[in-house]
Amino acid sequence: MIAYLLRRLNLFVVTIFVVTLATFALNYLFPGDTLENLSGISSHQTAEYNQIVQYHGFDHNIVYQYGMYLQHLWKGDWGISSSSGNDIVEEIKLVLPATLELSVYAMVLSLFIGIPFGFWAGLRHRRPIDLGILSASVLGYSIPVFWLALLLILFFALQLGWLPMSGRISLLYDIPHYSGFILIDILKSDIPNKQDALSNAIRHMILPTLSIALVTATIVIRITRRSVADVMQSDYIRAALARGLTRPQVFWRHGLRNTLLPILPQLVLQFTTLLTNAMIVEVIFSWPGIGNWLMQAVYVQDFPAIRGGVLAVSIVVIIFTLLMDIVLRVINPLKNRDIHGTI
Amino acid sequence: MFLLDVKNLTLEIETTNGWVKALDKVNISLKRGEISALVGESGSGKSLIVRTIVGALPERWKITADRMTWKGQDLLSMSEKARRKLTRDEMSVFFQNAPDAFDPTATLGEQLRESVPDKMLDKGFFWQRKQQRDALIIKYLHKVGIKNHRQCMQAYPHQVADDVCQKVMLASALVSKPELLIADDPTMGMEITNKVQILRLLTRLNQTQNLSILFISHDLLAIGNMATDMTVLYCGQTVESGKMAQLRNKPLHPYTQALLNSAPSFRKDLPPKAPLSSLSGTIPTLQHLPIGCRLGPRCPRAQKECVKTPSPKKLQNRSYSCHFPLNRSIE
Repeated sequence: MIAYLLRRLNLFVVTIFVVTLATFALNYLFPGDTLENLSGISSHQTAEYNQIVQYHGFDHNIVYQYGMYLQHLWKGDWGISSSSGNDIVEEIKLVLPATLELSVYAMVLSLFIGIPFGFWAGLRHRRPIDLGILSASVLGYSIPVFWLALLLILFFALQLGWLPMSGRISLLYDIPHYSGFILIDILKSDIPNKQDALSNAIRHMILPTLSIALVTATIVIRITRRSVADVMQSDYIRAALARGLTRPQVFWRHGLRNTLLPILPQLVLQFTTLLTNAMIVEVIFSWPGIGNWLMQAVYVQDFPAIRGGVLAVSIVVIIFTLLMDIVLRVINPLKNRDIHGTI
Repeated sequence: MFLLDVKNLTLEIETTNGWVKALDKVNISLKRGEISALVGESGSGKSLIVRTIVGALPERWKITADRMTWKGQDLLSMSEKARRKLTRDEMSVFFQNAPDAFDPTATLGEQLRESVPDKMLDKGFFWQRKQQRDALIIKYLHKVGIKNHRQCMQAYPHQVADDVCQKVMLASALVSKPELLIADDPTMGMEITNKVQILRLLTRLNQTQNLSILFISHDLLAIGNMATDMTVLYCGQTVESGKMAQLRNKPLHPYTQALLNSAPSFRKDLPPKAPLSSLSGTIPTLQHLPIGCRLGPRCPRAQKECVKTPSPKKLQNRSYSCHFPLNRSIE
């Protein structure tokens, strides 16, 4: 186990290193003068300019520049946004939790939709109900997420007027920033009409969460269905049936665990796709998350912000994947199967 | 009175080329206290018969039979619940390929406890039941030759050797004190000392507890010493069945002859360095089954009539399905 953890840690360090290398390379790939992009200062002869040359290590070779970059990153100095003039780390701290909140709810929702339907389809393998669910999931999977979001807005927000169209909470409420997760912030705060604020925030959340969750749910359905169908045909399920257990008993005691264990890593991997979808959907719903923020940065060519945003999102994805890897391994009883030699 | 009586069992399974008769009019019967052998090549449908008898087939497959009874009760028309109860209380199965027949994510102990039926426990409180179960299990683990029962019960199937898995499987089959044990190749791949031990245990249980055994194997040597009856299966068709001794001495069906010849220890006249006999060709796949007698294309005695399926013929207490049987004087 220690060896495994060390290997994962090693992978983590190496991956982060590669990501910093990629974002560092971005500096030179942006159009225009590299230093001007980074600092926003265009006059070359001022004392300020010389200071910046030294700060970024531009008076030395590129390896030195990369070293300086790593040093700045490590110290939490990710640069200044050229459009707002704020520290990028501070801005990311504001927008990243909003995205994570949306993604986590969407992930949970998609699992809650996908796994039961996947089981239903898998247990009725190749029956009409299975084919129905499968067709619906193919349809859902084929719909682009931005189009689905627009459809949802058109129908539920504009035509029926049931749900708000954009934003995170109505402007009437002023929620003090605490964790960045709005539901937690509302519960923590001491504003007068907490209940109303909470329901308002939830109503704002429904459409974006739904549009992200549906796509992932269809993938979850397909993964689960495949696994259920395979497991229910395996020898040990037959053996359990022959031992005289009823079909429900066989399913709950032997089917469920064996179905979920192999697919958990695949399900977890969907989180990265989901995060990408969340960033697109944010733009449509004007959700103040990192996707929206990055898009704005791209529009106004705020290069330090693009660089910082890419790095932040990558780090979140890497940490999440690695943590889940470790958690799944700890709970899996078959973790040492491949280590034991077989004849 | 037959314990198990199966007549004209046909099993149709769905393949990519449509429905195929994997079992074609199979007949098996077994009296109480008998050891009956079911032999045939791999892929001849032996394991399918086992799964049909215990009802562990996919629900979509079509089973038809003139008769499929257990102690006179019809198995096919029985409700799912009654059938489960019956398989749980009165039959046990030893599955081929024991390591795969255990749930990989549950310990062997958990799965053994599942095999102990509730009615074998005396009416204690529910917290005493686990102990009672364990006591029974440990007794049977010792019987099949596992000494280190604690370690074995805590292990996951992948943590023990294959032959230990087989022994645990046997213990779990025997612990419910069944009337019939269906043993699908219980000694596959075992070393000879273990094998003898298992076969001896089965013979002893048959003699002392009147356990009926349907023994499925291609190990003719092991079966030859144990079984009283034998049924020979080829490609899902029963070709011959009858008393072991008769079949061994005077096989009627060419396939039985070929099968016996393929086991060198059954032939006393085999000179040293002589080529071993075998049928030409291989067993056909399910998608390309020949019509009529399925042995036809490989049979040394095949003639034009063999494209029609031979109906089973009775001769004293044995039956065979062949148009041109061996060892029979023309009446």
